[in-house]
Amino acid sequence: MSLKQYVTTPLLKENPLTLHVLGICAALAITNSLTSSLIMSVALTAVLIISNATISLIRHHLPSSVRMIVQITVIATSVTVIDQLLTAYLPAAASALSVYISLIVTNCIVLGRAEACAMNYGVRRSIADAIGNGLGYSAILIFVATIRELFGNGSLMGVKILELARDGGWFQPNEMLMLAPSAFFIIGFMVWGIRSWKPEQQEQPDFKPIVAPREVEGQ
Amino acid sequence: MDNNDPRKAVIVVALVAVICSSLVSAAVVLLRPIHLNNQLLERSRNIMQLTGLVAPGQRLDDEQMLALFKSLDMRIADIDTGGFDDSIDANTFDQRRSAGDPRLAVAVPANQDLAKLGTRSRFATVYLVWEGNALKRIILPIRGAGMWSMLYGYLALEGDMNTIAAASFYEQTETPGLGDQITRPDWLAKWRGRKVYDDLGDPVFAVGPGRIAPDSPAALHRVDALTGATITGDAVTSLVHYWLGPHGFQPLLNQLREQPPSQTASTANGGS
Repeated sequence: MSLKQYVTTPLLKENPLTLHVLGICAALAITNSLTSSLIMSVALTAVLIISNATISLIRHHLPSSVRMIVQITVIATSVTVIDQLLTAYLPAAASALSVYISLIVTNCIVLGRAEACAMNYGVRRSIADAIGNGLGYSAILIFVATIRELFGNGSLMGVKILELARDGGWFQPNEMLMLAPSAFFIIGFMVWGIRSWKPEQQEQPDFKPIVAPREVEGQ
Repeated sequence: MDNNDPRKAVIVVALVAVICSSLVSAAVVLLRPIHLNNQLLERSRNIMQLTGLVAPGQRLDDEQMLALFKSLDMRIADIDTGGFDDSIDANTFDQRRSAGDPRLAVAVPANQDLAKLGTRSRFATVYLVWEGNALKRIILPIRGAGMWSMLYGYLALEGDMNTIAAASFYEQTETPGLGDQITRPDWLAKWRGRKVYDDLGDPVFAVGPGRIAPDSPAALHRVDALTGATITGDAVTSLVHYWLGPHGFQPLLNQLREQPPSQTASTANGGS
């Protein structure tokens, strides 16, 4: 595969959210606002690039017994630095995201890409992979946030688009979209849609259901 | 050195730890001035909203806001005697730091320590808002241990030293989505008009569960609890009881009620 393909494959074909179903926690929590989702997307992509590049650089010198400790240290460092930058330069947005920026440390996508890609391949491929996965995650976040903020609050990035009924307009917002479970439904429908369109993404069942023999009635 | 050599593992981990911790420390140290400035802005914005001088929804830019904030009548109160102490410069006094300074702090006796403070400063920075020559509002700093963290906030009382005009919490790290709802503006708006003291002069204001008829006498002292934030809500009740009780600002409030302060001292005190 070319470098370009490493960027484009995780967008849809191997999307970290809809295929691997990783990083759901933050996706549920912060997608009620498009601004928060954009900041989260940029932060996660930046962390992915930094951690993938660093780990790929030092991968030949990582004894496998301590590799995870080192990976997590590198990831936690980049997350802390980015968190500090955000609270310094975007204090309002950072306080809206509260703990979710620091929780990028525990986002499985970051550690997953470090293990699957950065530990095995060169720096250029690891960076391309990080950009691809970051963008794939961002695409889903932005899509979900657009639906939730527009139909849940009538606004996008805090700007009123649809006039709300409670402010004298015509639009009755769906309050449920402001709550975290709605993101669960939206992502669920997305996974369903993508897997119906691309059946190769469907997982085989782990077990075959046992059908109990049933007596025929009326005998 | 071979990757399977345990010495290599130790060296790699040590190197990574040293480099990463230096990066984190550098980021914290370099960005501290900006963080402190943000905190100052945030705190002054908070106080300005409690003064009632800024119309709700009116957005001030940072400089206008700071200018307004500096023109506030800022006083140092001696909590135990209940008077103002003009010998301390209000512009440099740091109440939070002085809570840990043996010369300026007092230990809170365990049986009075409703807010779980341990020690508190003998002095506090309070803000007075004037309307003509009458005291319109007084803004008191309050704090207390919540579920996970120290809650820092302000409580604004009307000129009768009893009716709550506004409240805010500017620093807390309670559970996101549950305890941190104490910063929700719509919840804090319910504090407005509640009375702190009952007829006997005891602080009875409380955050409590359950619906109360809005015209019943109990509703006068009660704000609806937040779902899922029982411990934080109880902590808020306790800290209000402590700070407005006899070991907190009650002596000061009683004195202000009996002898209203004059505004003239304030203009000499460095107000603009």
